[in-house]
Amino acid sequence: MKSTIAILLQMLLFLHAGAQEKYDVASIPANLLKNAAVVIREEETVYEVKNLGSAVMYCQAALTILNKNGESASNMHEFYNRLSSISDLKASLYDASGKKIRDYKSADFTDRSVASEGTMFQDDRIKYLEFTSNQFPYTIAYSYRVDYKGIRTYPDWKPVKSWGTAVENSAYVIRMPDDMTFKYLKSEGLSTDSVKAKNKTEYRWSCSNISALEYEPLSTGFSRNSPWVMLAPNKFEYDNSKANIENWVSLGAWMQELSKGMQELPETVKTRILSLVSGARNDKEKIMLLYRYLQANTRYVGIQLGIGGYKPAAAEKVSLVSYGDCKGLSNYMKAMLQAAGIHSDLVVIGNGMPSLNTRFASVNQANHMILCVPSQNDTTWLECTSPYVPPGYIGNGNSDRTVLLITENGGKLARTPRYVPEMNYQKRQVKVALAGEGNSSVSIDTRYGHAQFEEKLGMLTLGPAEKNKRVIQNLGIPGVQVSKIEYAQQDKDRPEITEQIELRAPQLLTRGGDRLFLVLNMLNREETALVPVTDRKTPFRVSYSYLDEDEITYTIPKDYKIEFLPENVRIISEFGEYTVGVTAKGDQLIYKRHMMVNSREYPPEKYNDYVAFRKKIYQADKQKGILVRSE
Amino acid sequence: MLRITLLFLALLAGIRSNAIARQNKENKAEPVAEKIVKFGKVDPEEFNVRPAGPDSSAAAIVLFDKGTGRFELSERKMGFIYVFERHLRYKIIDKTAYNLANIEIPLFNIGDNQTSLHDFEAATYNLENGQIVPAKIGRSSKFTEHQDKNYTFKKFALPNVKEGSIIEFKYEIRSDFLYTLMPWYFQREIPTQYSEFDISIPDFLRYNISQNGLLKVNPYKEAVVQKFRIYGNELQGRVIRSVFRAGNLPAMKQEKFITTINDYIGKVEFELNGMAMPGTSFLDYVKTWPKIVNELRQTNTFGGFLSPRGEIKEVVAKVVSKDSKPDTIPFLLFDYVKKNLKWNHMNAIYASSKGPDDVLKKGTGNSADINLTLLALLREAKVDAVPIILSTRSNGKHPGLPMITKFNNVIIDVAIGEKHIFFDATNKNHTPDIIDFDNLNHQGLRVDFAANSGTWVNTDEFKTSKKVISSVLTLDKDNKLNGTMQVLTTNYEALARRNRLTEAQDRNEYIKQFSKENPGLNVTEYNVDNLDNPNESLFETIKVSIADNVESAGNLLFFSPTLFERTRENPFAVQDRKYPVDFGYPVEEVNRITIEIPEGYTLDKLPENERISLLQDAASFSFQVSREDNKISMVSKISFKKDIYDVQEYHDLRELFNNIVRKQTEQIVLKKN
Repeated sequence: MKSTIAILLQMLLFLHAGAQEKYDVASIPANLLKNAAVVIREEETVYEVKNLGSAVMYCQAALTILNKNGESASNMHEFYNRLSSISDLKASLYDASGKKIRDYKSADFTDRSVASEGTMFQDDRIKYLEFTSNQFPYTIAYSYRVDYKGIRTYPDWKPVKSWGTAVENSAYVIRMPDDMTFKYLKSEGLSTDSVKAKNKTEYRWSCSNISALEYEPLSTGFSRNSPWVMLAPNKFEYDNSKANIENWVSLGAWMQELSKGMQELPETVKTRILSLVSGARNDKEKIMLLYRYLQANTRYVGIQLGIGGYKPAAAEKVSLVSYGDCKGLSNYMKAMLQAAGIHSDLVVIGNGMPSLNTRFASVNQANHMILCVPSQNDTTWLECTSPYVPPGYIGNGNSDRTVLLITENGGKLARTPRYVPEMNYQKRQVKVALAGEGNSSVSIDTRYGHAQFEEKLGMLTLGPAEKNKRVIQNLGIPGVQVSKIEYAQQDKDRPEITEQIELRAPQLLTRGGDRLFLVLNMLNREETALVPVTDRKTPFRVSYSYLDEDEITYTIPKDYKIEFLPENVRIISEFGEYTVGVTAKGDQLIYKRHMMVNSREYPPEKYNDYVAFRKKIYQADKQKGILVRSE
Repeated sequence: MLRITLLFLALLAGIRSNAIARQNKENKAEPVAEKIVKFGKVDPEEFNVRPAGPDSSAAAIVLFDKGTGRFELSERKMGFIYVFERHLRYKIIDKTAYNLANIEIPLFNIGDNQTSLHDFEAATYNLENGQIVPAKIGRSSKFTEHQDKNYTFKKFALPNVKEGSIIEFKYEIRSDFLYTLMPWYFQREIPTQYSEFDISIPDFLRYNISQNGLLKVNPYKEAVVQKFRIYGNELQGRVIRSVFRAGNLPAMKQEKFITTINDYIGKVEFELNGMAMPGTSFLDYVKTWPKIVNELRQTNTFGGFLSPRGEIKEVVAKVVSKDSKPDTIPFLLFDYVKKNLKWNHMNAIYASSKGPDDVLKKGTGNSADINLTLLALLREAKVDAVPIILSTRSNGKHPGLPMITKFNNVIIDVAIGEKHIFFDATNKNHTPDIIDFDNLNHQGLRVDFAANSGTWVNTDEFKTSKKVISSVLTLDKDNKLNGTMQVLTTNYEALARRNRLTEAQDRNEYIKQFSKENPGLNVTEYNVDNLDNPNESLFETIKVSIADNVESAGNLLFFSPTLFERTRENPFAVQDRKYPVDFGYPVEEVNRITIEIPEGYTLDKLPENERISLLQDAASFSFQVSREDNKISMVSKISFKKDIYDVQEYHDLRELFNNIVRKQTEQIVLKKN
């Protein structure tokens, strides 16, 4: 009985809804409006695999843009290249009540190349349309079809693409011929519907009524908070190349096949290499010499064409023109090592991306290539596109992640080195002669290691005016006159930069009546206080671990004595360690600060503890000492 | 071919208004001897070239850059085409300049009109064991990218580039586009040893030639007689050859508070102002702005856009009632346009839509769509209004010659009695005389169709934009300051805050941002008046609780009295500057704070009052503190009375900021009894 009423009620509601315009904003459930800038009203992608090398995708979507923050979502775009084409483009704009305002014609769409600056050539293109409306909210709806004549990947499904996006309904369908297999990973709790049809099986995932997430700083993403499916073919055909990527071993074997025979070098180059390494005592030295040679004689030029996105340019060609992309340069380095009798493996890596998923082989988890020279206990990793880093330093974006070595026996998963806080250091010694009136003089000596070395790398190549400007900006000391700035990489084999700065500053001491105030931490203050987040939803992490050690020795002005010094502070937590202390010795004040921060993924509920940790540091970093006249 | 209307453009060197005559320190280029360089012939000495002086650490240097421009008759076009040859040689000093070895040449095509690239050659030279080793560019290092339907990029990657390499390339571009020729830049971000532009213009074509920037190059000129061939026929005509040469030119770098660096880079630009094709009846060259005005009047997307339409009548009838006072009509229509049209963030002097009815239907458009729609409405309502065309700050200073392509925006000038008011309806927060900041480029051309005249008018902003913060706070036992801040802003300062308020998703986001910028500040209540009434000052009332600003040390409490509004750093960090300081508008910032101190504390000595006035009071700073019972009051006032300061005034401005920073860090000290 009860259920009959429920059904009747539902029908009534349905009829009522039917009387409304389909995209009426008033029909969006209230829970989806909270924190939302965009509501995905309905979205469906159907991906139909025809065979190993071809597929068709049908996309349709309707999105309501609620306010200014959602405007970035108010465009439709799709990528294509010479092996795919976009057709049947349709788009319309609706007002808040769901009334159609205008239809767009195919002439309203823009078609352009996506080659970015620094890329010499890339054959990917984009078609896009930007919708504009002078009043919020409004709804956009569009649909199109893409035909693929070459497959590498199957599209993933991520209905929640950004902060502030709510989803009313979204669905994804993949149709697979029965003679083909594929693989997928999905978010926890998401159910898969599969239906058998003639000669094929249809898999379907869907979600509805998902509230928007409000922006959360330092977030590692919302993959645990919203549904998703990751898909990949087991076999494919692309640009005349057939691949089996059922697992990482076979994916690696395919790439090995692509790079086979690409390591030939002209005799003249081989001779040069042999003479270059003839004096070297061991392999390590040879690697270093050849890496230096690569850095001095080549440059990075991005070229991505068809299968060339996976296949390196022949080493012979790179040696002729002295440039290449990451694959070309890594393979050239491999060829030179080979000529010197050293074995190495090309490495597929996601630079700045998450680790490769060990149980899910696909080609879109990586965007870069480096080189690995394996050794029982002294493996060397080489980033071949940087002209500056020392041999063996691969950069923060490549470190500590799972990667794929391309070996003779197929792909082999490995882990790149991790740079612990003690390696990403900033060690600083400062001497300050304080003046009661006029200029205080300051000399600063700093060493930066690994990730912090990387951040300072740009200073090595700046012109004096620009360097001066940048240093003054970073120092944050008012009225400073800098008399010496020197950056150097003293040991070319170590990822370390030294910095020497000498300056005079009129305002290190600030006046307050008869007293002089001194901000003890004059150079390395935590400048902003983070804001707590109530009920945080997503995990967080800081960009890298580091260790900062500062020691400042102040000589106080003649006629002054110390009236007050702040107490020592010591903060220890799972986020890191902070200790600061100041001691007086004769006319000297010695300030010491030690700050270590761990980059790890922390659960959302710990965020406010992290805010409190940083806030204590913020407060301790502002502490002032007070000087008074010694009558 | 060129549209016939282009033929009406003026020849005359033009009327230079006072507004443009604002003098910068111009450097007359030293006469430079001609340098002859052959492609492929590198002098070993060139490997020793090092930039000197302030550019000593430049990543590369232009050794030689020569452009040659000439005109040929084309059978395909049945008329003239422009042929541009370039020969360029760099010395690469540092790896950061490797991008110079990746050459990108954009080619523009529209309809039958094309640009094409010919005879591209490039090579790299390295000095190896005292020998010059050349490497020519190969076929596989050449790429073509079809950027979109109008642009194609030809790309070239030079081989064997190392630190110390010399790279060289040359090419020819044949272009059907005669209206504006590619400008010649003598300078760029790296220093230039030698730059030459040699252009031969037949008398059949007349160009306005303008030189903007801090560098002026006197061309060498000669007249020659040249034969042009077409379909086996020969045609003879006089050709004027102008050769611009400059050498040892410094690198040009971006600075804060400038319009655009382009205004200061030495360059020559060309815009056609008349042509007479041989064989056709000889057309008079147009001579003045009036012809440009006439041309604008006839253009569909400008003057034609304003012709009476039914829709316009309806809107005016809807917005203006019989009871509307005549003086209020312009403002009613201005508000209507602001409310109903959304700017697509494109500036243009020409509309992109067919007419105001079309714009009103779409509800969006570029600046010309919006402001010309406003103009059409004003005219329908019999308001005395004319367009002002201008070049925005980012587009650079207009050269002053009758060159229409150097304009990129249009605003409206409304005359009410004796008064002239500027309207720019591209933003809801604009008010009469408050136009987009980018339009504050000192001058505009008032276009009067009735009188068929164009007159330069000064668009400098004279009104001071104010920000006045008044805080009344009480210091509590936990060293927190509690109380109310009132922020009053006017003109451009108000516009900036209104933009932030209206761009924020909601009030909460704005408050969050506000708290974030002021560490320790917690907003307990927020109110804003006149947000939707941009004609009035914006008035924000904020109840706050401020932590982390009063510090304690033993029995002392101390704080910087200006709290958050203090100027922490001198924006003018560098000692010298080549360009004027262009703020865009005069500004005054007042910060008033009264703090009630708790019982049990006494005030130590107060900071001294100070007043610093520079440049005949065109820039000043004052700071006053006083106490009364348990209250401390402080007033800090910074004032810049001009919108733009000359290079000669830079040092004083810098000094003023040094003093502001110094004074505002002084502490107020309280002692526990």
